[in-house]
Amino acid sequence: MAKLLEMKNISKSFYGVPVLTNVNFSVDRGEVIALCGENGAGKSTLMKILAAIYRYDQGEILLDGEPLPHHIQPLEMQKRGVSMIHQELNLMEHLTVAQNIFLTREPLGKSGLINYRKMNAEAKKLLESLGQDNISPTALVSTLKTAQKQMVEIAKAISFNLKVLIMDEPTAMLTQRETDILFDLIRKLAKQGIGIIYISHRLKEIKEVCDSVTILRDGMFIVSKPVSEVTEQQIANYMVGREVSTSQASDFCGDCNDIVLEVRNVSDSLLKNVSFKVCRGEIVGLSGLVGSGRSELMEVIFGIRKPKTGEIYLNGKKIVNKKPVHAIKRGIGFVTEDRQKTGVVIKRSIRENINLIDQVKNKGFFNSARKHKANTDEMIKRLNIRCASQTQLVSNLSGGNKQKIVLAKWLLVDQDILILDEPTRGIDVGAREEIYAIINELSKSGKTIIVVSSDLTEVLNICQRVIVMHEGMIKGELTHDDRTEEKIMSFATNAC
Amino acid sequence: MSNENVSKKYVDSIKQIWSKYSIVFVFIFLYLLCTLLTGGKFGEWKNISAILRNASTIGIIALGMTFVIISGGIDLSSGPVMATAGIVLVFLQGSGVPLPIAILACIAVTTAFGFINGIITTKIKVPPFIVTLAVGIIARSVTMYLGNGATVTGNNQDTGFKAIGNGSLFITPDFPIPTPFIIMLVVAVLLTILLTKTKFGTFVFAVGCNELASKYSGIKVDRIKIWTYIIAGICVGIAGTIEISRMVAVASTTTGDGYEFDAITAVLVGGTSLAGGRGTIYGSVIGAIILFFVNNMMIHLGISTYLTGAVKGAVIMIAVLLQARDRN
Repeated sequence: MAKLLEMKNISKSFYGVPVLTNVNFSVDRGEVIALCGENGAGKSTLMKILAAIYRYDQGEILLDGEPLPHHIQPLEMQKRGVSMIHQELNLMEHLTVAQNIFLTREPLGKSGLINYRKMNAEAKKLLESLGQDNISPTALVSTLKTAQKQMVEIAKAISFNLKVLIMDEPTAMLTQRETDILFDLIRKLAKQGIGIIYISHRLKEIKEVCDSVTILRDGMFIVSKPVSEVTEQQIANYMVGREVSTSQASDFCGDCNDIVLEVRNVSDSLLKNVSFKVCRGEIVGLSGLVGSGRSELMEVIFGIRKPKTGEIYLNGKKIVNKKPVHAIKRGIGFVTEDRQKTGVVIKRSIRENINLIDQVKNKGFFNSARKHKANTDEMIKRLNIRCASQTQLVSNLSGGNKQKIVLAKWLLVDQDILILDEPTRGIDVGAREEIYAIINELSKSGKTIIVVSSDLTEVLNICQRVIVMHEGMIKGELTHDDRTEEKIMSFATNAC
Repeated sequence: MSNENVSKKYVDSIKQIWSKYSIVFVFIFLYLLCTLLTGGKFGEWKNISAILRNASTIGIIALGMTFVIISGGIDLSSGPVMATAGIVLVFLQGSGVPLPIAILACIAVTTAFGFINGIITTKIKVPPFIVTLAVGIIARSVTMYLGNGATVTGNNQDTGFKAIGNGSLFITPDFPIPTPFIIMLVVAVLLTILLTKTKFGTFVFAVGCNELASKYSGIKVDRIKIWTYIIAGICVGIAGTIEISRMVAVASTTTGDGYEFDAITAVLVGGTSLAGGRGTIYGSVIGAIILFFVNNMMIHLGISTYLTGAVKGAVIMIAVLLQARDRN
């Protein structure tokens, strides 16, 4: 008998950048298979291709041995039995549970109107089959807890003659008990012959609930093994995979007698008692998986997120940044992760964007056009920004150049501490090297840099010291020869 | 080869000028069209100056509205607030309070309403559409209460006051420029400087484009927004003074009725984006004048005034469509 699902030689590229190259992936009936890889390894892309959200460039997908048409629509894919539960759940908050489950397939009565009685009864049956008697079909989704919402998604998936269920980080928002309930359900569904694809960074969970594990790296298939044959450490090694030279980081570790920034016992809904110090001139890396609280910690320092408890000291003096403007005036800069949303004002000119923070920081009422022009010229030269003119809109620039605009804003105001959150995400290699050079140059001139990054190679290449976070806590700190991708990964996944 | 490049550059720059100043071309086109259709009557200065005088009230409200809309907000309270302040003005003026103080009181009332609009939208985080709608309803009700539902008149003998709305500046005896239009131009020039030459103006655009990025850049977003509503309030006060001075009377149920929508229309026709982050002051001036062009032409052509709304609606859609096409 043919395998339940086979993806053969799948290739996909975005704007000419290959994301997946000849990936083979298959699932058997009743198999729970883990899909692992670093951020950006191509897991999500592969699964979105399977769910027909993206189209593949090359390859073939077989369901029950039958090839699926290339131009299939997501709803059609669901009808054939492949459903995906996304990390950020896809429910309509203001509709009821039953309305969500049967969205676009509402049972109609003779009059042509929706037969709510029938819809609610069927929803109830589905939920009961999952052991979820306490979820009312008529409850609004917005009143449910995350775990319950997930169950509604699963009920929705089952309501289509389910064959393959894809779950993307399903336990990211669940408590331990809810996780146990979910795992029981996964085992039950597997027994019914449903194939389950489980994406997770939590290696322990993979060992607990999965039968086998497939690992992707840089868009390529690496290995597929029964879970019983690999250790968590080995999975982490496979995910990282390559020998990485760490010689590029400069030896200068900052002046350890001069603590510029200290965070003491910061806690809130996500962060748990976080403390760390940064020295003047240091480039320190902050690593960890998505959702581990790295960006949130930086938001606390920058005055966007208010901690419940804890203190921040700048040059030995306690500070409270209630708003970003306070942090900016104290000499802290923040190059955010999402440059479209929080970095640049996309529909305004390069010149306006570059001078924005300078205007905030400096006194005076009128703009000095001459000064703005000179500032912009200087930054375009210094950062090698490729643009047609100063008045060009930022929206027309490439990702790398947009990132340089954000950097330029902060370099112009000469901040002492610069936080860089994913400074090279989605940026091509050339621009990346240029940004690394700028970071090194800043450090040498006595600026303190904190680099938040999911890219381990990047962290190891530019940071002398790496702090690793896991679920809102600092799990470890690595310096000098201690710094290896394997060690960071095992701290980040809490494998040790 | 180089010739081709030069001519291509030439075409490109013409295209750019067209898309940047399309509202000016639309304005000139409409002027010529109206003049042609009315056999030249429309273009006579007597007619044009009447149009400019009438357009100035809406125009000045539109100037303040431009700031609010560029920063991503909206103000639906302008008309009723103008009536409330107008009632205060005629009460004071009628009871013998010195004119400058009465006018300042009128502007103070509208400024206070603007401040309230700003505070509630930013600090209590109620969407501006709802806040200003509610404030407008309240203001209208207060006006009707103060005026007992009737028309309130001030001191009709005060020629100095009446000159604000009815007077003209005579450059030559045949070429009077209406005082309200001059006031509008002065306000427009000041606000253009504020919008394009100051930090505040830059921040208004930044907030309207991307509030989050503005916040991360250290801009005090709330403060900027509150100021835009205050500016809108001041403009409503100035417009109110002009409007009331023309008749020295306020009809508590109808004065200023629908002015907020006319002002918003003028702003949109003038090329300011309702989504925020984009717009000009001069566009709003031209937008207001275009609206009154249309009104005036319909009278000249003897079309029923009941159809004015239909034509206005069409003008809005065409103007906004033209600009949307330019952008893509």
